[in-house]
Amino acid sequence: MSNQSDNLIAELVADLAPVRRLRPATGLSQAAIAALFAVAIAAFGYGLRPDLLSGKPDPLLPLLAGPFLLLAGAAAYGAVQMSQPQVGNRQTGWQWAAAMAALLPVSAVLAWLASLSTNIPLAIDQTGWTCSASGIALGLAVAASLTLWLRRGAPTSPERAGLLTGLASGAAGMFAYSLHCQHNDIGHIGLWHSLAVVGSAGLGRWLVPAAVRW
Amino acid sequence: MIADEATLARLMAMAQAGDRNAYAALLEACQRWLRRYYARRIGPCQLDDLVQDTLLSLHKKRSSYDPARPFLPWLAAIARYRWVDHLRKVYRADETELHEHLASDSDEPGVTARISLGRLFDQLPPPQVAAIEMVKIKGFSVAEASEASGQSQSLIKVNIHRGLKRLAALIEKA
Repeated sequence: MSNQSDNLIAELVADLAPVRRLRPATGLSQAAIAALFAVAIAAFGYGLRPDLLSGKPDPLLPLLAGPFLLLAGAAAYGAVQMSQPQVGNRQTGWQWAAAMAALLPVSAVLAWLASLSTNIPLAIDQTGWTCSASGIALGLAVAASLTLWLRRGAPTSPERAGLLTGLASGAAGMFAYSLHCQHNDIGHIGLWHSLAVVGSAGLGRWLVPAAVRW
Repeated sequence: MIADEATLARLMAMAQAGDRNAYAALLEACQRWLRRYYARRIGPCQLDDLVQDTLLSLHKKRSSYDPARPFLPWLAAIARYRWVDHLRKVYRADETELHEHLASDSDEPGVTARISLGRLFDQLPPPQVAAIEMVKIKGFSVAEASEASGQSQSLIKVNIHRGLKRLAALIEKA
């Protein structure tokens, strides 16, 4: 063994102080609080949908907003788990949730194709980009929470951690905004709401790795 | 002799609580384990540096170990991360210096990085190696690589994609 390594070990031992172990439940709780914050902003800042305010939610709402909530939870779980490195530890739950959420844009495309044959083109809301932008903005608190958590941990794949952070934040933000957005049509949800998740995932994949690399 | 998994996990849990004797014993054992781990992956001249870098990472990130899980897969994940990071840094430094002085003594880290990558390249089909070397390492454009190798431009792109994916899988398994 080299003297340098022995000296380093002596220095590290001298520097040792008790540490608080990272607990995934804490990271998930922090992300959940950030998501609740996004919901509060959507509810009090933008205002809830009329059907929610009246206490009679549209039966389609869970179907159209629920996949985003599930995707947010699964992706956040995957991101939090990545703070604790482990060879052979693969997180695939988020992929199933993402596949389920992908049914929304797929359904939108199918509805659009079906509308072509009926000569009644599917109306696409041209102002829907505001929904996408609002969804991404509402997810920023979740993104910040997960990024700070990952910085405390040791993610060995910063790119995947960034992707999961973006997915979780975009999906959480879009779920929160769904409580305000009055659209129930699959064209709007499948295009603009899904776009927020895809855009957020891309931003996360691009921006987060530099912040969590160690 | 390398301590067994259960002993290492117990020592790490004690180290997290601030036990210096346990930590010293753990770091000694980790040092031996890391030397064996890296011996097959990098040149001997870089072994000390990489072992020390990894011990520093272990120290900084010790809170990320969960005592309910095995210790060695955690250490292996950190070691692999540092190894890949090391290869990337050395190779990039080598690329910027390569054109300036090929015969200098300071090329040694770059050469050993090449040897490490060379071992990985041995497991790829030659067209994929050629495409990656020309475009990703030598900086050729896809068109130039196509002309030099005789592969079509689309085949160059496909071979780069497949080759890099396979390299990532090889590193993942390492």
